Amino acid sequence: MALAKRKSGLALSRDNRWRLRKFVADYGVYIALAILLLVAAVLTPKLFAVDTIAVVMRQAAQLGIVAIGQTLVLLVAGLDLSVGGIFIMTSVVVAEVGNGRNEMIAPAILTALALGALVGLGNGLLVTKRRVPPFVATLGMLVLVKGATQAYTRGVPGGFVPEALGIVNQSWFVLSVPLALWLGLNAIFIFVLRGTSYGRRVYAVGSNIEAARLSGIPVDAIRISVYVLGSLFAVVSGVVLTGYVLYVDRFIGSGLDLDSIAAAVVGGTAFIGGRGGLLGTIAGVLIIQILSTMVVLLGLDVEVQFIIKGLVILGAVTLYSVAATEA
Amino acid sequence: MSKPILEMRGISKSFAGVQALKNVSFRCQAGLVYGLVGENGAGKSTLMKILAGVYKADAGDIIYKGMPRLSASTGEIIASGISIIYQELALVPQMSVAENIFLGREPRTSMGLLDLGRLYARSDELLSRLGVALDTRSLVSQLTIAQQQLVEIAKALSQDADLIVMDEPSAILAGSELDQLFDIIAALKAQGVTIIYISHRLEEVFRIADEVTVLKDGEVVDSRPIGQLNRHTLVRLMVGRSLDEIFPQTDHEQGDLALIADDIATDTILDGVSLRLHAGEILGIAGMVGSGRTELARALFGADPLTRGEVRLAGATPQWKTPSQAIRAGVALVPEDRKSQGLFTALSVRINVTIPILSRLSRLGIVRRQTEEQVVEDARQRLSIVMTSPEQETQYLSGGNQQKVVLAKWLETAPAVIILDEPTRGVDVGAKFEIYKLMRQLNDRGIAIIMISSELPEVIGMSDRILVMNDGRVAGELLRENADEERIIELATLGGAEAQSA
Ligand SMILES: Nc1ncnc2c1ncn2[C@@H]1O[C@H](COP(=O)(O)OP(=O)(O)OP(=O)(O)O)[C@@H](O)[C@H]1O
Ligand SMILES: [Mg+2]
Repeated sequence: MALAKRKSGLALSRDNRWRLRKFVADYGVYIALAILLLVAAVLTPKLFAVDTIAVVMRQAAQLGIVAIGQTLVLLVAGLDLSVGGIFIMTSVVVAEVGNGRNEMIAPAILTALALGALVGLGNGLLVTKRRVPPFVATLGMLVLVKGATQAYTRGVPGGFVPEALGIVNQSWFVLSVPLALWLGLNAIFIFVLRGTSYGRRVYAVGSNIEAARLSGIPVDAIRISVYVLGSLFAVVSGVVLTGYVLYVDRFIGSGLDLDSIAAAVVGGTAFIGGRGGLLGTIAGVLIIQILSTMVVLLGLDVEVQFIIKGLVILGAVTLYSVAATEA
Repeated sequence: MSKPILEMRGISKSFAGVQALKNVSFRCQAGLVYGLVGENGAGKSTLMKILAGVYKADAGDIIYKGMPRLSASTGEIIASGISIIYQELALVPQMSVAENIFLGREPRTSMGLLDLGRLYARSDELLSRLGVALDTRSLVSQLTIAQQQLVEIAKALSQDADLIVMDEPSAILAGSELDQLFDIIAALKAQGVTIIYISHRLEEVFRIADEVTVLKDGEVVDSRPIGQLNRHTLVRLMVGRSLDEIFPQTDHEQGDLALIADDIATDTILDGVSLRLHAGEILGIAGMVGSGRTELARALFGADPLTRGEVRLAGATPQWKTPSQAIRAGVALVPEDRKSQGLFTALSVRINVTIPILSRLSRLGIVRRQTEEQVVEDARQRLSIVMTSPEQETQYLSGGNQQKVVLAKWLETAPAVIILDEPTRGVDVGAKFEIYKLMRQLNDRGIAIIMISSELPEVIGMSDRILVMNDGRVAGELLRENADEERIIELATLGGAEAQSA
């Protein structure tokens, strides 16, 4: 009898361990974020000064906007490395077309969006119609876009960023324009992914492309649309970055491309597609941004920042794969 | 009584709140065949996965060859003489048939290098013992699911096990392949090998088992020598009530012509098939593994491009070249291989069931959640799907319940023509007859059905007409009145011309 009791106790604990794993997979990133905040409270209390929060949140927004697109692309088992090229292209277009005239801001942004959409279309067509692996297709596109931008400017970007674009630096306490944009876009796309048939189809295509095709989902169209969205988000982020510095910068947004992938993956979106979502990515973005800021606040070298980021990504991926192995 | 080779005592196992096994005990004598039966989700596969070391039991002991088995890896368990043919096939798609058979145990030369000559020779020999004509160098990804099943069986045989578990090995085999499998089981038994055989086809259990154990809701209901059972009592033990297993019929006249295929061929084996399908009828498609049945289904649905011929709805021009166009034209296909073609395993039951009807369920692209939940609840009741909630990921459902989810998904599309490729594969007896009734209800609504099945009683019992395929062509057509198993097997194996002259 005693034995039976002990055994059933054991059964419960196994069951609990399973739940724990599922819990880690589902909520691990939020817990990690909470722990990070606690650590920051001890190590770098300055992080919680209103000014610092405002900066962190604005930077998080810049990264977060690209990361929305990156998450969508990852959900269909894709990857978008070309976003780095799009930042630069956007910055050049805004300066060339805008050329210091505030009334040209709208045409300039529209031009950048149109060109971005073309890049996304190119990515999508390469991946779907030519069956180029996403890594290769978008890496090629990155080189192409960067090269084309440089060829166009002959290495010396012309034009001026219109002053009025500085509006992105406006803020109301912590709530800056980029932050509002980030939150708004998240709200829209969280709803799109959960509540609309388009969102369902994105998950279905990422989860099992053959079953999706046999279910009548236009799989190529869905994948192409997601790459286009990914590029458009990168343009939006590029506009915000350009407005922030207010001049054309050849290295604008460098590092944001890989960080956007890292944020999505840390947030629980899987490389194999079909799993994850934007809430996790928000947490992933915050983790990465807070870590970077803490490194600065602690007066450590930038290299340390890379090492810590690398460790966080590896840790997250390991945790998720451990959690994914059942029973 | 001799000492048992295997004894499982008081095994319990639960998954995240679902108690899959409760205090299950099960014992086997060497050299006998044990049938393991029960409804979908009863816990059969889970019990066998515990035996194989894939899952750890929460409680209970396993005594194998007289020794209590402590924790062991799956590799050590295979080495100890237990091999398992899993219900959800587990082959490496990018490897050849032979490489899969000997995965991890490849024959080596004296120099320690891979001995490819022996690898292929031994694989060829194993497959010929199974009576299967298959190139052992072809990649598994190119095989149909039935052919993959045969490779799994060959793999288990190659391990020279003392105890072989077969988890629904026959679900997609027919006719002579099945006979071949039973011959092999008999031969193994004669060599003293113990077999645990899981199947929802009870006639098979009666044909080969010495003893039958019935699981229900994770508990052993009964364990009896086969001589003390008949089909009726066995079904009652499994389902918990009597079941009159009568194939439902329609009494209405054959309807108008619905679907026409003329001389269609594809890059695959399909080579000039024509057929006529009428509203409200069931056209059964029988044939051996590899005869082109699945290829026919895919071609009709636009999943594989036609190289010749055309498919169209009666009174219309051809309207579809892709599955999405076919679905819009009112054609549905329930594919044979649920894991790779039917299910989104990482997604919930709810999302799986409603994916093809999203446009109907949504307004301005926004899914109406309440209507959706109602659809899923209706499907759950109608097909008695066992799940913890509509949000459960389908990868955690038992095999038969996964099949029901795939079926539910397509029934919701309300098509004019529905093609069912092995619709009851892995489905338990009770649910099977629910599916049959459902098919007839669809018929009564004027829906035309094509049903591919390896289970001859099902083909004969349900079809109004039967096409028998052989080598990519139609070998013959039988009306329900003059169809019997012998006639079908004859057409399926000899092909049309020979069968007629014979
Ligand atoms: N890995 C898992 N995680 C969660 N639940 C599981 C898992 N594997 C099985 N289950 C649950 O355990 C129960 C028993 O499943 P099992 O696969 O053993 O059924 P079965 O008797 O083999 O059914 P079938 O005839 O449909 O193959 C089911 O309710 C199933 O949903
Ligand atoms: Mg099973």
